Amino acid sequence: MMTKEREQELIKRLQEAVINYKPADAKKAAEEAIAEGADAYKMTMEGLAGGMEVVAEKFDSHEYFVPETLLCAKALYAALDLLKPYIKVQEGSVRGQVVLGVMQGDVHDLGKNIIKAIFEASGWTVHDLGRDVPLKKFVEEQMKTDSDIVMLSAMMTTSMVGIKKLIPMIKEKNPKVKIMIGGAPITDKTVSEYGADVTADNAPNALKEAMKMLEALRKGKM
Amino acid sequence: MQHTIIFQPSGRRGQVEEGTTILEAARKIGVDIEAVCGELIVCGKCRVKIMEGKFQKEDIFSSMNNLSPLDEKEEKVLLRKDSDENIRLACCTKILGDVLVFVPEASRTGKQVVSKAAGVIKVKLKPAVRKYYVELPEPNLDDPLGDFERLEETLYKNNPKMKKLTIDYRALQKLPDVLRKSDWKVTATVWNDAEIIRIEPGQVETSIGLAVDIGTTSVAGYLTDLNTGEVLVTESMMNPQVRYGEDVMSRISYCMFNEETGLKELQDTIIEGLNTIAKQAAHKAGISTEDISEMALVCNTAMHHILLGINPEYMGVAPFTPALHHSLDIKAERFGIHILPAGNIHILPIEAGFVGADNVGCLVADKPHKRKEMTLLIDIGTNGELVLGNKEKLISCSCATGPALEGAQIEFGMRASPGAIERVKIDPETLEATYKVIGNNRWSNGETNMLAKGICGSAIIDVIAEMYRARILKKNGQINHDHASKRIRKNDKGLSEYVLAWRHETAIDADIVVNQKDVRAIQLAKGALYSGCLIMLRKLGIKKFDRLAVAGAFGSHIDKVAAMVIGMFPDCDLKKVEYIGNAAGDGARIALLSTDERRDANIIARKVEYVELALEEDFNDRFGEAMQFPHMFDKFPHLKGILSEEDT
Repeated sequence: MMTKEREQELIKRLQEAVINYKPADAKKAAEEAIAEGADAYKMTMEGLAGGMEVVAEKFDSHEYFVPETLLCAKALYAALDLLKPYIKVQEGSVRGQVVLGVMQGDVHDLGKNIIKAIFEASGWTVHDLGRDVPLKKFVEEQMKTDSDIVMLSAMMTTSMVGIKKLIPMIKEKNPKVKIMIGGAPITDKTVSEYGADVTADNAPNALKEAMKMLEALRKGKM
Repeated sequence: MQHTIIFQPSGRRGQVEEGTTILEAARKIGVDIEAVCGELIVCGKCRVKIMEGKFQKEDIFSSMNNLSPLDEKEEKVLLRKDSDENIRLACCTKILGDVLVFVPEASRTGKQVVSKAAGVIKVKLKPAVRKYYVELPEPNLDDPLGDFERLEETLYKNNPKMKKLTIDYRALQKLPDVLRKSDWKVTATVWNDAEIIRIEPGQVETSIGLAVDIGTTSVAGYLTDLNTGEVLVTESMMNPQVRYGEDVMSRISYCMFNEETGLKELQDTIIEGLNTIAKQAAHKAGISTEDISEMALVCNTAMHHILLGINPEYMGVAPFTPALHHSLDIKAERFGIHILPAGNIHILPIEAGFVGADNVGCLVADKPHKRKEMTLLIDIGTNGELVLGNKEKLISCSCATGPALEGAQIEFGMRASPGAIERVKIDPETLEATYKVIGNNRWSNGETNMLAKGICGSAIIDVIAEMYRARILKKNGQINHDHASKRIRKNDKGLSEYVLAWRHETAIDADIVVNQKDVRAIQLAKGALYSGCLIMLRKLGIKKFDRLAVAGAFGSHIDKVAAMVIGMFPDCDLKKVEYIGNAAGDGARIALLSTDERRDANIIARKVEYVELALEEDFNDRFGEAMQFPHMFDKFPHLKGILSEEDT
């Protein structure tokens, strides 16, 4: 059993590695954590996700921009890929499942990839369908995985239009599923016009919104 | 129910159905209001002031109560600027009663200083349209051959190439009268040695065509003497479709969201624009529009489809398939384009969904496919297109730069029209700025009122480069608050900004600033261009190019050094950077003057290999790295002395 101090040190190193986008440092800290039998879940949540939270703050305050966020996500994955096999499924976990993808006719997946990193680091199961995803694929994947939330990304006005068609298709099969939409052309007006549940203008906000929706869903079930 | 709406200062008025938005009404009545974001309640450029009260002269009672109520979204956008009373966004405010609307200058689509000057072109004249003077034997009872066949016979005798001539129906209608009134001495205008398109009495040598470049933002026409290649008149205007949205995407979506009428509206708008250009050019040259016997056109793929009335929806989404690649020849009359009714409209071929006939025009003008040296051609317009290669191979791509480089999506961005800041210098010691405004030759001194209204594209690049050089911007684009300068501050929303012009120097009663979001927009745009260049180089397996050709009317105004400082393109010897002006327009002129070039254009258009950048495995990474100034890793040895050692 490792000491509290050592555990905190590793968490701190993982955080720092993500914040300062140092994939090598992240990897090394993760390797040590595994070798010494640290709690992989704690390392991921407090170390990696904790670091990503700081990244999100830096993004919000305009200190970081897309390039830094991308690099942070890289450092995050360097450690997460190692830690993942050691994460035990948590009892009573509130983390949910999402289906994520870029709309048909659109191949811009930068935003989607950042979302994926943040969600995975926070313990969510992400079913990533990639880009230029046919509408039917979203419906099928939601049904298959019984995901709580479907997240749709569109970077062009022209591909955004597909969302309007897709939402009723998903809701028809499963009225309870929540829909989050995001991307450059999407506004609050789009949300109401297309019958989505919510939008977010960046990945950290997307996570916050998803948490809220998930809590509401879980409460509804009880 | 119908309501009266009056726009000031233009004084235009009209009746509109209840529920129409102010912007829709403005379009209907012909008042230009900025709609940069495409009516998404984002840009806030369409703010208008509602004048309240009874307007005797106009005989209406105008009130804020005659409009749909303000909602949260609109309020949020309005709150971004300290605005005075009764301001609404035209795009989302619906008319529920009579109103008088004042369109402030900042919201008007201003007359742009369009500089699409014709460049020097080299072309072997071989126009499609030729004039032949012939004297026909008069018919008699022994020789009662028909008029057309008589003309055909004579023309064939003079020129054996014209074996199977036809005649346009409009020309035919006039043939018998003209022949007899001119004593059987006529000039026949023949298109492609195949069709007679006009008959004029006597000998006429003047032969005129019009080359047109339809840009997303502006349209330029070059009235050209087909016998000499000389440009007689250059006529330009804003693309009147700007009313429907600033960029290609917003116009495509306008067609999609207004299924019944959108496409037709946009098509009619551009045709009206072409007719205006033709009319004004003809007027200036002292000819009639009927004397224009052919038109050669270049435009991007979306403009192309909309002009032809082809649904642009499918080329607007992946896999971005255009309706066709090949060039087109269509009679002017079928379009309602007012030149010679039987005249031909030649539209250059298309490379791909986002690399259109305008890019083919650039190739026709610059001819990288005929050169030994490696050319990197950058055409910067509302979108950025790149071509790389030489006579062995050419590849092209489209970079989603967005209109930020042209000044759109920038808080104080505006078009290059009077009042726009066009050049900027920042003292790296004091961090004080000095700038030049279009329409004024003197640099600002911080005291004189320069009547500045905003910042145009060339100055956006200048100011970002200068801010980086003065270390007001960090390498990652963050505004640096470590300096003690009152120009660097945070606005009331906590957003960092740099004051370029103080309130007392401006015509808009506010400081003109460059804020952190503006810098981010530029980073995205230039990152797209730079990473595009890198991926293209890699695709051809080369490390550098021999010449960098910068095309685009706006490109000509960019300062090379500033462009390289912000990292719009990879490091290279600045001597190798060549401005080739409005190459797309030059290409249209070349096509107008040579059928050989038209044939060649169709071949290159299909030969250029289109690269979809977003499909490259590592595109996001390369894009991300290229967003920093000038680049996250790449060094710029040619900027030694201008940038710090770290970057060079």
